[in-house]
Amino acid sequence: MNGNDGTRVQVTLRVHRFTPRPEREHTRSGSPFAKQGSPFGSGTARRRPRGKQWVQDYALTVLPDTTILDCLLNIKRTQDPSLAFRYSCGHGMCGSDAVAVNGTPTLLCTAKVKDWAVRQHAQNTVDTDGFRKTAEAGTATDTADEASGANPSDAGDDAPLIVELAALPGFPVQRDLIADIDPMLDQIKRLQPYLQADGVLATTKDGKIDVFEYLQRPEQLAAYETLSNCIACGVCEGSCPVFAGGEAFIGPAALITASRFINDSRDTAADARMDAIDTADGIAACQSVRACSRHCPRGIDVGEEIWQLIAKVKER
Amino acid sequence: MSPKHVEQMYDALIVGAGAAGLSAALGLLRSERIAAMTQAGHTPKILVVSKLQPLRSHTGSAEGGIAASLGNVSEDDWHWHYYDTVKGGDWLVDQDAAQLLAKEAPATVINLERSGVAFSRTADGHIAQRKFGGHTARFGEQPVPRAAYAADRIGHQILHTLWQQCVAQGVEFAEEWYVTDLVLDESHEQVAGVVAYDTHTGKVHALHARNVLLATGGAGRLFHTTSNSWDLTGDGMALTLEAGLQLEDSEFVQFHPTGLAHTGILISEAARAEGGVLRNSDGEAFMQRYAPGHADLAARDVVSRSIMAEIDAGRGVADPKDPQGPRDCIWLDMTGIEPDHMHAVLPQVVETIEDYAGIDPTKDYVPVKPTAHYTMGGIPITVDGEVYTWADDERHVIAGLYAAGECSCVSVHGANRLGGNSLLDACLFGHRAGVAVGARIAGSPDTAAQDAATATADQSHDTVEAAAQARRNELSDLLKPNDPAAADTDDTASHHPENDNAYRLLADLGAAMERALAVRCNHDSIAEALRLVDSDFTERARALHAHSESPAFNQEVTAIWEVRHLLELAKAVLRASDARHESRGSLKRTDYPNRDDKQYLAHSMVGGTGEVAWQPVHILDMPPQARAY
Repeated sequence: MNGNDGTRVQVTLRVHRFTPRPEREHTRSGSPFAKQGSPFGSGTARRRPRGKQWVQDYALTVLPDTTILDCLLNIKRTQDPSLAFRYSCGHGMCGSDAVAVNGTPTLLCTAKVKDWAVRQHAQNTVDTDGFRKTAEAGTATDTADEASGANPSDAGDDAPLIVELAALPGFPVQRDLIADIDPMLDQIKRLQPYLQADGVLATTKDGKIDVFEYLQRPEQLAAYETLSNCIACGVCEGSCPVFAGGEAFIGPAALITASRFINDSRDTAADARMDAIDTADGIAACQSVRACSRHCPRGIDVGEEIWQLIAKVKER
Repeated sequence: MSPKHVEQMYDALIVGAGAAGLSAALGLLRSERIAAMTQAGHTPKILVVSKLQPLRSHTGSAEGGIAASLGNVSEDDWHWHYYDTVKGGDWLVDQDAAQLLAKEAPATVINLERSGVAFSRTADGHIAQRKFGGHTARFGEQPVPRAAYAADRIGHQILHTLWQQCVAQGVEFAEEWYVTDLVLDESHEQVAGVVAYDTHTGKVHALHARNVLLATGGAGRLFHTTSNSWDLTGDGMALTLEAGLQLEDSEFVQFHPTGLAHTGILISEAARAEGGVLRNSDGEAFMQRYAPGHADLAARDVVSRSIMAEIDAGRGVADPKDPQGPRDCIWLDMTGIEPDHMHAVLPQVVETIEDYAGIDPTKDYVPVKPTAHYTMGGIPITVDGEVYTWADDERHVIAGLYAAGECSCVSVHGANRLGGNSLLDACLFGHRAGVAVGARIAGSPDTAAQDAATATADQSHDTVEAAAQARRNELSDLLKPNDPAAADTDDTASHHPENDNAYRLLADLGAAMERALAVRCNHDSIAEALRLVDSDFTERARALHAHSESPAFNQEVTAIWEVRHLLELAKAVLRASDARHESRGSLKRTDYPNRDDKQYLAHSMVGGTGEVAWQPVHILDMPPQARAY
């Protein structure tokens, strides 16, 4: 399937949908036998919202290099305005539209039909618990790209092309493809994610104070520049079996933020920053699976960066 | 993130969390008087309300740079920046504001650096700078590198840094709350608060405040082809109109010359700064002909008009994705840029072209066309961010109401903005507005805490609660399942209410506005769009309802309010465009092709009912000249 030959294809978007039940007002029950919450559960823990779950198919005819986001926007306009998903800039910079495409976390606006549409029998999809079935012999692949419609003929051209969409794994679903990513932002915030510099002004050769910037040579910038491009989309978090598996792990996104400041020559808090992540739920929880690197939209080799960070912390 | 509880009264509400809103929050909290108050135990109650999570704000998409005469690469002077800004704006710039912009730019950029922005650097460690269209040395003599940059992701760097600093300050956010009303007191001279819709729960909140600062960004979604994100629906501008106030110079919309073919996605001006050249179907580098000496780095309006002139002369090219389609693009030739250098300094540009056009810019030409990019006009503000109305030949400030950034108009951009000046405007005047709000809080005898008591005692005049109640009623109507019996009055209508929706209306409005106003316009094109907006679109907007009854994360409700906001704004933009019988900067009237300083060296002030008043431009030391590049 080539994106530029102008031939349209039929594709079905199979969307895992969810509508939360409206919050009930807390009405005080007069009966002491009324149903109570578990005495063991923490009152502040995020509860999985309850509501209606179902799977809905939408059929479209599009050019193969249409993005999945454009498909969904088309659906909103022409088929179902109630379908909910976050989106904003539409070109991979704002980080709002991370979802699971065929079970793999990635951005809606960078994922294209030609790269993700699979013939129906290819069971490269998630079940309701976010797991994918082991592929059958002969079709075993570990990346969705290889299992995709790049070579769709082997499944027979009459089988419909399908892209399966679900909310980003590892986070509570709020509605349809919208997940609550506040836990990630909270973890980032806990690590004091802001430059802590010495405040000293650079001086000229004769000792005169300039109102100049902190000086930083290009090679010093290079030590953290890529890390500073993180857009906090959560793709790495949804890919991480430890994080998405529900462990207390602080998560790859927060570690990337910490590393961004630890490697910034202007920052003076590196030691405290390393202490903060040198914990059981910090770097010790990383199992070096490196799934976090696979679909980073900013091209950050998250797994390698965390590996380097661990080495740095351990070598202190 | 939502606030744990809603206060009875806020000292300041900031609406919007991009560069302007976050700069304002920081300007406020870092100001000496507020710091002193906080130290004394009187922490002001401040809330930033944003329809997005702050890191999703469109500031993050700005690519090229932020202008300041730092002179790190070659000699520069703020007077030259001031001159370029006035000339770039075709003399519709208030010169007192432009002086401030140019003078305070270096400090603004250095503050950003000291807050953490990862600027690209010169070999000796200073902030690196690149050339940008319209920025010159010695009053127009030759191009000067004035745009401080971070590869081609300066907006991302600034947005994230400002957010990080807000985290450091403990700023409280109400994220994914959509402001539906700006409420003034009964006298219409003072702000009372806003009504906000929490999209997570579907609850409508009455937020009372002593100060409100609007920083909601631009309105690119008025047009079909735009570089703006889906959220740039002109909310702050529409809120202002609906509150009975005016907009300034709303007819000036910048079309960036190089949108990527039919996607509208921006190819940064940096692509031309680094050596990219525009070519027509004959392969001619035509900009040399239109702007000798400046060529591809002439001001944006000049380049956009030149591209349209080439297309009109039959020298356009078709988007390779649609070879049989209209020849309404032009080539951007980047093959002259050394590939390694291109990947080093334009990584985002290369990625965008590869991903969304399937083209390798080191080998092939890239199809581009002008894309709606920036609203020069907006909510009229003083240089301290105070919102005012223009009546009886003077400014009347609305007490406690402020604005900053693209939604506002302090008039530093005039009729056309220079590249690198928008981030500067947002950060610099956002900061100034924040400081001004801080001073008003610190200088006021009452605090929000004391006010809260009076507010609850005096509910009969609670205009905010009244507006909130009206919204709640409207919301329950929007969510009500449509009664099929009531809807079948006119089955033949092409837009039967049951089939119509806000997303479809948004698309139709964008197409109509583009036909009417993109790059050039005339009375007839404007009248045709006004006819559609006033009748058909308004009718459809009124009939819209949601297709799901569930209020939580019901995006369609927000979309309905957004498209209604856009319609309100579209009327103002069209009426102001119609009223200005001249061509200036980004506004090209084919029926009035020349600039007319006698009549129109003045800012249009348009109100919600469409009447237009004129406010003279502040001229200090630069009388209007012919604008040639």
